[in-house]
Amino acid sequence: MSAISASEKVDGFTRKSMRKAQKQRKSQGSSQYRTQSAPVELSPLPQLKDAPSTEQQELFTQKLQQCCMLFDFMDSVTDLKSKEIKRATLNELVDYVSTNRGVLVETTYPEITTMICTNIFRTLPPSDNPDFDPEEDEPTLEASWPHVQLVYEFLLRFLENPDFQPSIAKRHIDQKFVLQLLELFDSEDPRERDFLKTILHRIYGKFLGLRAFIRKQINNIFLRFIYETEHFNGVAELLEILGSIINGFALPLKAEHKQFLMKVLIPLHTAKALALFHAQLAYCVVQFLEKDPTLTEPVIRGLLKFWPKTCSQKEVMFLGEIEEILDVIEPTQFKKIQEPLFKQISKCVANPHFQVAERALYFWNNEYILSLIEENIDKVLPIMFGSLYRISKEHWNPTIVALVYNVLKTLMEMNCTLFDELTSSYKADRQREKKKEQERDELWKELDELRLSSSALVQNNSHGLPGVQNNNNNNNSNNNDTQDKSAEAAAVTSENKDPDDSVAANESSPCAK
Amino acid sequence: MDAFKLMKELRVNYEQEAHYLPRETGLRLIESTTEDDSRISAKCRDAKVEDVWSLTSFFGYSTQTFVLAVNLLDRFLAMIRIQPKHLSCVSVSCLHMAAKVTEEECNLAPPVELIRIGQCRFTASDLCRMEKIVAEKLNFKSKAVTALTFLDLYHQIALSHCTDGKEILSLEKLEAQLKACLCRISFSKAKPSVLALSLLRQEIHAVQSEDMLEIACHIQRHLKITDAELRLWSERVARRLSDYSSPECSKPNHRKLQWIVSRRTAQNLHSYRTVPELPTIPEHCWDESESEDSCEDVMSSGEESLSSSLGSDAEGPYFPLHLRRQHLHA
Repeated sequence: MSAISASEKVDGFTRKSMRKAQKQRKSQGSSQYRTQSAPVELSPLPQLKDAPSTEQQELFTQKLQQCCMLFDFMDSVTDLKSKEIKRATLNELVDYVSTNRGVLVETTYPEITTMICTNIFRTLPPSDNPDFDPEEDEPTLEASWPHVQLVYEFLLRFLENPDFQPSIAKRHIDQKFVLQLLELFDSEDPRERDFLKTILHRIYGKFLGLRAFIRKQINNIFLRFIYETEHFNGVAELLEILGSIINGFALPLKAEHKQFLMKVLIPLHTAKALALFHAQLAYCVVQFLEKDPTLTEPVIRGLLKFWPKTCSQKEVMFLGEIEEILDVIEPTQFKKIQEPLFKQISKCVANPHFQVAERALYFWNNEYILSLIEENIDKVLPIMFGSLYRISKEHWNPTIVALVYNVLKTLMEMNCTLFDELTSSYKADRQREKKKEQERDELWKELDELRLSSSALVQNNSHGLPGVQNNNNNNNSNNNDTQDKSAEAAAVTSENKDPDDSVAANESSPCAK
Repeated sequence: MDAFKLMKELRVNYEQEAHYLPRETGLRLIESTTEDDSRISAKCRDAKVEDVWSLTSFFGYSTQTFVLAVNLLDRFLAMIRIQPKHLSCVSVSCLHMAAKVTEEECNLAPPVELIRIGQCRFTASDLCRMEKIVAEKLNFKSKAVTALTFLDLYHQIALSHCTDGKEILSLEKLEAQLKACLCRISFSKAKPSVLALSLLRQEIHAVQSEDMLEIACHIQRHLKITDAELRLWSERVARRLSDYSSPECSKPNHRKLQWIVSRRTAQNLHSYRTVPELPTIPEHCWDESESEDSCEDVMSSGEESLSSSLGSDAEGPYFPLHLRRQHLHA
């Protein structure tokens, strides 16, 4: 897929005809290649199930070695017979490891891991489409999937085999192995990432010695993603694994984990591609808060700090996450963050993007949130009131207006007297504002009139004005215009001292509540 | 207006107020009705009046509109027996009629909008018809003498006598209190002049102004309101206002409200509540000081731990103790 030229776009969007043409070609890529140039044919080996038990071991090893032969799937006509033999063999191996006991002898471990490494560890091909948009475009799939899929399947069954011994395996499934595995998470092929997710999950579970290393590497991947590349296809999968890890954290939480939350997970919210992994990210955050509620305040403050300002789609996601957090929040923690949080919510309900406003207003349909608000109504209502009242009159979307009615009515029923007070002070404020607007208009009118009269003044009396000397230290010679203007300005400023004072007096009286 | 004129106006209104009182027998009947599908009860009416207030407040109508609307409603209900299912239509009609009288045309909400926001089940033409019925039954005249009329006059009188009256006595607060009272049907039995005076006295007690108290007594004498009557209603007002401002919030019955959201928002609402597919991996604490037993799994999601299902993990007898202690970096 080549990049689209400007001529093929309308208003910056690719023409539909072009997009359709692209979709016809199912994109495939692969970086696997064969080292030998001469075609090698695989000779079929006897079936494992037919072999006598004494020979099974040896046969198993032979088949594993046979599967180390790689084939080029970009070429769809060569080596068809051998490819099929390998596929059938891999299938057989998967079955063999799944159904039999006593298969995993110590000597088989290195053979198994070698076969796996050979098949799956590869540098991923660069993306065909540099503007790959994970939401819009079709991903590039791995061409050798027919084999690779079975290898992954085999690895999984291997790990899950009841006879599997991490103590033996750890000689081969080591840090280097894990590192290469993690790199594969950047694959565009979602099927591959799905396998990797399950495999890494099992490895984390079984190899206690590798856990710290895995966490550290994931840390690095995320940090690189957030701050350097903004590109990594496997964020969602890694977060899913992390979710199951966080869920299992022992209490009290280690400092390392809390650091991870604040330094990695929260900043991860700033990624442009948040929509791809937000559900998993939110789940991780909520899990953390369920483990340690004292983290609530820094988390919410962190989210508020990174609150989206120009992307409404993200804002809706953030609101969803806030609701999930509020669903599990403890009342004492709620009190700590209610003010900054509701200040943001009051901005959201007034947002001209109707989906943002809607999502924020819908909080009032959540019983638990309502009970929290009710307990703290004296703090929450003053923050929300002005915003709600204003948009009840001004918002363009009728659905929003109807929701605002629901919210106002709900709040009114929680504390009638406070609501009455706020209503009357809001109205008083509006009156005051209107009065100020009128005064401002009148002031401008006065200024206009003065301008006319003082320009007449300047023409008659060019030297005697006090302000001129101060303003015109440098512009004596040529700029008569400047002189006149500054003289006017000086005349105007001295004339208008009194109205300014009276306006200032009005502003200084505080708005009583 | 000077004090003399005000007092005269007071008299005039006092003489007229009886015309605008709801029939007491009708009100008593409503009060005595228990919750029933065929008759309006006090609770029913009170809840509806609160809805009317919500709408008034929402559309920015004045208290005057609200008071007038309640007056019309009570007069109608005291006269005509209606089924509870029609109460909504009646009350919104009264509101609309009152708004047409009091509010400026540009501020009037169209009936369709009233119905939409109020989540009413009837149509605009139903509303129109009901308005005609109400107007007919009440021989509807634009100006009704209500408690607000008196409250306003009392306030003006008080101000005319005291120079700093404006700071002490807030008409808005009085209006809010009147609104609180009108949300209970029992107060519709009071004469508007008496109700208003009770409210005034209540507030005067609160701000502790001797001057104002004198004025209130003066008004009482002028209108020849008996002490007994005034005391009765003052007590009731005091009780109502203390209930109204008590911290015990009435649980918002939000089940009555419909929450309509757009399709896209509705789709995304519960997309997060996904059950995680991967089972929990318990963290093992490898602290030297902790015993093996205390390192038992911290199971939170109730799902089977990986290590237990696959047997060969660090906990089983396979993993020798001395080796376990060495590999401490979980």
